Amino acid sequence: MTVLVAYSPAAEGREALTTGITEALLRKTDLLIVNVGRGHHDLDPAEMQELEAQLHTAGLTLMIESSVLSDPGDAVIQIAQDRNVDMIVVGLRHRSMVGKLILGSTVQRILLDATCPVLAVRADRL
Amino acid sequence: MLDSAMAALASLADPSLLLMLLIGTVAGLVMGLIPGLGGTGAVAILLPITFGMEPPQALALLIGALAVVHTSDTVSAVLLGAPGSASASVTMLDGYSMAKKGQAARALTLAFLSSMAGGIIGAIGLTLAIPLARPLVLSFASPELFMLTVLGVALAAVLSRGNIIKGVSAGLLGLVLGMVGTSPTTAEERFTFGSLFLGDGLSLVAVALGIFGLAEIASRASQRRGQKENISLGGGWGRGIREWLSHWTQVIRGALIGIWAGVLPGVGATAGTWLAYGQAVATAKDKRQFGKGDPRGIVGPESANNSVEAGDLIPTLLFGIPGGVPSAMLLGMLLTYGIQPGPSIITEHLDLMYLIVWSFAIASILGALFCFLSVKQLAKLTKVPFAVLAAGLVAIMLLGSFQEGGQLGDLWVMIILGVFGWLLKSTGFPRAPFLIGFVLAIPLERYYFLTDSLYNGLDWMARPGVLVFLAILILPIVWAFIKFLRARRHSNVDDGHRDERPEDDESQLKNSTWSLTAAGIFAAAFSAALISSASFSPEARLVPQLVSIGGLIFSGILLFTEIRTWLRTRTARVGWTLDAGFALKTFVWMTGFLALTAAFGYLVAVTIFIPAFLLVVARARLKTTVVYTLVLYVVLLALPSLLPIDLPQGWLNTLV
Repeated sequence: MTVLVAYSPAAEGREALTTGITEALLRKTDLLIVNVGRGHHDLDPAEMQELEAQLHTAGLTLMIESSVLSDPGDAVIQIAQDRNVDMIVVGLRHRSMVGKLILGSTVQRILLDATCPVLAVRADRL
Repeated sequence: MLDSAMAALASLADPSLLLMLLIGTVAGLVMGLIPGLGGTGAVAILLPITFGMEPPQALALLIGALAVVHTSDTVSAVLLGAPGSASASVTMLDGYSMAKKGQAARALTLAFLSSMAGGIIGAIGLTLAIPLARPLVLSFASPELFMLTVLGVALAAVLSRGNIIKGVSAGLLGLVLGMVGTSPTTAEERFTFGSLFLGDGLSLVAVALGIFGLAEIASRASQRRGQKENISLGGGWGRGIREWLSHWTQVIRGALIGIWAGVLPGVGATAGTWLAYGQAVATAKDKRQFGKGDPRGIVGPESANNSVEAGDLIPTLLFGIPGGVPSAMLLGMLLTYGIQPGPSIITEHLDLMYLIVWSFAIASILGALFCFLSVKQLAKLTKVPFAVLAAGLVAIMLLGSFQEGGQLGDLWVMIILGVFGWLLKSTGFPRAPFLIGFVLAIPLERYYFLTDSLYNGLDWMARPGVLVFLAILILPIVWAFIKFLRARRHSNVDDGHRDERPEDDESQLKNSTWSLTAAGIFAAAFSAALISSASFSPEARLVPQLVSIGGLIFSGILLFTEIRTWLRTRTARVGWTLDAGFALKTFVWMTGFLALTAAFGYLVAVTIFIPAFLLVVARARLKTTVVYTLVLYVVLLALPSLLPIDLPQGWLNTLV
């Protein structure tokens, strides 16, 4: 029983993490973080310890995983299938049609290819 | 068209052609096993042998090798987890996982069959490209051909992995190096510093073997330990065949991706296989097994890396712009035979085109067959430590680059470029644009002057073909710029598909004093070229000056960013590393070998260098050393009578 958060070091990634933590506490499931950012922008160690402690008091564990696949969307889905997670949490932001057409969108790929429920959150809520 | 295709097939029944094709295939398979050689090494080593041959025989030999290099490079990737070439590292992901589960035979079956199919589909692609491109190619005049050569260098520079500025600088430096020698327009000597030897220009084999071959040896010679663990092939042959048949769509898809990657200059086998792998993952619904032994992760990429080499040949033969490094050398070879790729090859040498297609397809089948038959022996070969192989490779490469001009100067050039190539490799410069620039320098200049003398002013720029090529030239640059801007603003986290291979671990000396030195060398070379070209006549001056000014701008930017990172990383700077020391020591060994050759002749140098290198550097056993040296000596002694090869004579030989 796990909630997977697709984390990236941007506003929408932070939002996904916050929502992921809430969901994990609510469902009383473990939390699994997969970094989808470019390069090695992992979470700040101090922040991670804090997060781990927070989950630990609730009797849950925090896991961080990465995949051999270089495409972040594929990596998230592979780990989700492998770990049989209950839910993937992704943060999304507005992308224009042309932008998606030319550059593609990782979130869109996760939404379309995932074999489990996906919770999508936006950073710029009303 | 069909007539020439059938005539080409019939000509392959000629025993001498068939024999060459067979030799090429076997040589290609062996070289595929040696780490770091790949298609580039295979063509560069075999090219000197072909100097005395007729074009069909030479092509059969080279194409035979090129077609199968990527068939055998899988063996060590699957069995040892140590890929024979960069492009086989993709196969390692799933293939080695299968082997660890005792299913190496299953992985190898999938890989060999897919490689064969990839080669055949690539050959079909090449065949179909001929009639499709024919009307287009025949409509080209010198302005279009000029634009194509520019496009060849520019695309190679932009599309190569890594930094674009580094790619463009490397491409421009290649152009400058290619202009050493006699100017094609005014017949005056350029950048020769009065030397008769440089008057002929630098030898292509020496440049290619230096930049790629020696550089690769130097960076790997520190591997003196072979794999100790026992290799078992396990079972699963039948299962492999069944799985391969059920994944036939992946085979075709992989091959098509490979052809496309091959057609684009600078996108080679490595990028092509990662593209194919990404595609296989993206289209699979159940992604759990990828990286843990999914047959789809082997089939697509293996099919792609063989078809890349066929795809490379499409722009090389039809437009005269090489799609990759091996085909750049092939282009150089065709030019020495007086066969001009582009419009003239289609009208005058169509039989050669089809000979290439048939050779490629037949070699692909033969290669897979040989691999199946001899996989146990091949597996043993992969256990030989690289340092032991390096001794023989150095001797063979130096001998090879001697053949083109028969001058020891070529060998010195080769070692100097070897050091430079190693510096480029370890500081993250792409080397493909460098070689492509080197090959295209003279055609570029010649087409430019033809264009300039046939058209008034800039009229030629208005030709529709030229406009299309201009658009193709500018688009990737705009594209790269947008991507760069988005990466800067960190607004690219959601940007789609990333197929490229994960972070490069080859260029360990990036952002160090080393890369600063490399940038400095670039800037210095361009300034020197600019200054010395001032003394040329106006016509001979124009292109070198344009190139060096462009080079100065790019290397200036490079130098600026390097100095900035150099100052910033004052504390944690990468200085003298163990690997760098080892590589430079290997170059000292090579220099010693060459000095011995210059003094006492090649054979004497071999008998001193080989045992010394084996005992000191490779730390091989005495028995191995003696047998190795004896065998090599006998082979080298017999070689001149079997093949048109000359052994370098030393200073002492001239006295006797």
